[in-house]
Amino acid sequence: MKKTLFVLVYAFAVLAIFAYGKTVDNEKLSIALSNQYANNMTDASKKLQELETAVQKTLLFNEAEGSSKAREDIWRLSADIKNSVASLPLDQSFSTSWMNYLGRLGNYAKEADQAKEHSEYHKVMANASKNLRNLAEEWEVATVGLVNGRLSMDEWQSRLDATKSDHDWAGMGTMVKQYTESDFPLTASESDAMKKRDLKNLEDQEVTSEEAIKRFRELFPSVSNEIIGVETSKPGAPYPFYHIRFAENQSVGYIDITEKGGHVLSYLAERPYGKESLPFDDIKKKTEAFLKEAGYTDVVYEESRENHTAWHFVYVRTEPEYKAKVFSDVIHLKVAKDTGEIVGLDASEYIREEKTTAQPIREFDWKTFFHSDVNIVKEELAYVENDRLEQRLSYYLTVTKEEHGEIGTYVVIVDTESGEVIKTERLQ
Amino acid sequence: MKKMMIRLMAAILLLGSAYATSPIKSGAFSSQEIARGAYGDDVIELQARLQYIGYYTGTIDGKFGYGTYWALRNFQEQFGLPVDGIAGAKTKQKLADASEYDEKFVKDNLNKGNKFTTYGNKPLSSQVSKGSGKKENVQLPGEYSEQDLRLMANAVYGEARGEPYEGQVAVAAVILNRLEHPDFPDTVGGVIFQPLAFTAVADGQIWLEPNDRAKQAVLDAINGWDPSENAIYYFNPVTATSKWIWSRQQIKKIGMHIFCI
Repeated sequence: MKKTLFVLVYAFAVLAIFAYGKTVDNEKLSIALSNQYANNMTDASKKLQELETAVQKTLLFNEAEGSSKAREDIWRLSADIKNSVASLPLDQSFSTSWMNYLGRLGNYAKEADQAKEHSEYHKVMANASKNLRNLAEEWEVATVGLVNGRLSMDEWQSRLDATKSDHDWAGMGTMVKQYTESDFPLTASESDAMKKRDLKNLEDQEVTSEEAIKRFRELFPSVSNEIIGVETSKPGAPYPFYHIRFAENQSVGYIDITEKGGHVLSYLAERPYGKESLPFDDIKKKTEAFLKEAGYTDVVYEESRENHTAWHFVYVRTEPEYKAKVFSDVIHLKVAKDTGEIVGLDASEYIREEKTTAQPIREFDWKTFFHSDVNIVKEELAYVENDRLEQRLSYYLTVTKEEHGEIGTYVVIVDTESGEVIKTERLQ
Repeated sequence: MKKMMIRLMAAILLLGSAYATSPIKSGAFSSQEIARGAYGDDVIELQARLQYIGYYTGTIDGKFGYGTYWALRNFQEQFGLPVDGIAGAKTKQKLADASEYDEKFVKDNLNKGNKFTTYGNKPLSSQVSKGSGKKENVQLPGEYSEQDLRLMANAVYGEARGEPYEGQVAVAAVILNRLEHPDFPDTVGGVIFQPLAFTAVADGQIWLEPNDRAKQAVLDAINGWDPSENAIYYFNPVTATSKWIWSRQQIKKIGMHIFCI
């Protein structure tokens, strides 16, 4: 009896010590996390004030040059605060609105050189400054509990729940959204880009689900006999589509087809793969035969990557005027290495089809444009989207450069009219 | 005796002609042509052989990128071969004749994740040093890193391992859609570790070891597939506690998840 009692007391003591240790550990972790968040919040508050000052500084000048340093500060600080906001536990509707606002503010400051009217910049930033001040005050009130250590992490998180919170986070999110709409409304290019993403350009007639299935069977006859479900997209989808699921033999997958016109958005099949591999040339020929049969006749091969069981191919549309590739209109294909079967197709970007416009083509002296140790190995024309979401006809240059005994390969994209370097990317 | 001699000569002739007409075997290379975009054992051998004779200075990783391409072209030029950057039968034969390849050494070190080279006339033991561990054996579009793939595979496995393959690709696509969206951070890590964004991060399931299916799903999303149709959120209607998420515009349901914007 004594022994049993001793064992029980001993076990209880060990358990109590263990539980106490765990609680202390958890408390320590919670305090460390809370400290880190408090630090990030203080940092964000300080930078928010600096940002407001930087905005004010740019308003001192009439010319863009005079305020370039302050504009750089706006861009840097807005990116810094965006990073801080991203790392904080905040109400989701508020943090997303705020990050959007900060991104647009930074971009607006960065792009100010392109602005024709400085008075417009002055008007926008004066308003932004006022809104930032309001926001800074709201932010201080909203975060005071965590910053001064009065709230634990659990208490803070429970306050983020709209029903329990004593702070109107949703209202704050709405306020920031309104600031965004008033200070930085969508540009024409942004609005166009959104319309394209939402497939507003599709004007084809609606197809029925039977017609969508017929299209599926035409494209992928070997997997389309056993359809296990056809659903329409939910009412909130920006563009309506049919979602068809199949399971035939060992292939399981789906295909999404637009209601307007019956265009394939994406198709993907999952199946076991054999160990053997067809030669790349055979796989490419099969892929191109499929594209031709499927009616994708205006695309050209761009690149491919081999992986364990399949090749991923990228084909790009070419436009008729300059025979330039349109890099926003791509088709992705996944092709099985064992049989050359198309196991994936994504044409959602292709059917968005960019409207390209004619553009002057200036000749550039590449010898003076590039450093003397740069070699141009390929020169093509392509339509590429710039930072302002405009489709620009560009020189698409593949260049090489000696780098510590190796050859570095880059793509440099240069606007054919303005000479602006739209993008420089190192190729692997 | 004469008959026997004739038979012997015929047999030698037959064997000789069979040898002469057989496909060229280039060391241990397979019979496949190897070009930019390829990956695997053939590319590992190609890189190692090119390095042995000093044409290739990059990492031996089995991925035929531009570094391998320029090295191969230089080799073809120097050895009087057609310069096309493609390792066909003649190029592989010439390369096999001009170099040596220690397959065991190369593969052992690749598996151990060591840093190593295979230059000729140097003891192999002096060409190895400790590396950062075994790499993911995949080829990705230029804008993504292996770290992105690993992190996303962890997130997909933690969030959607019980979901159909399509649903796993869709979860990976949501992460990528957030990267492009102005309301979210612009790095894979930033999106995944944004506080309160993913349940798997909050409950630690993100650190479970992802399986090959989750990695494959991420690879497909990274290569352009988006079964979510541009969604930036998803939730499980059975377990979701946030009222706000129900206010989002819903696009489609895959498995247990509703995808929305």
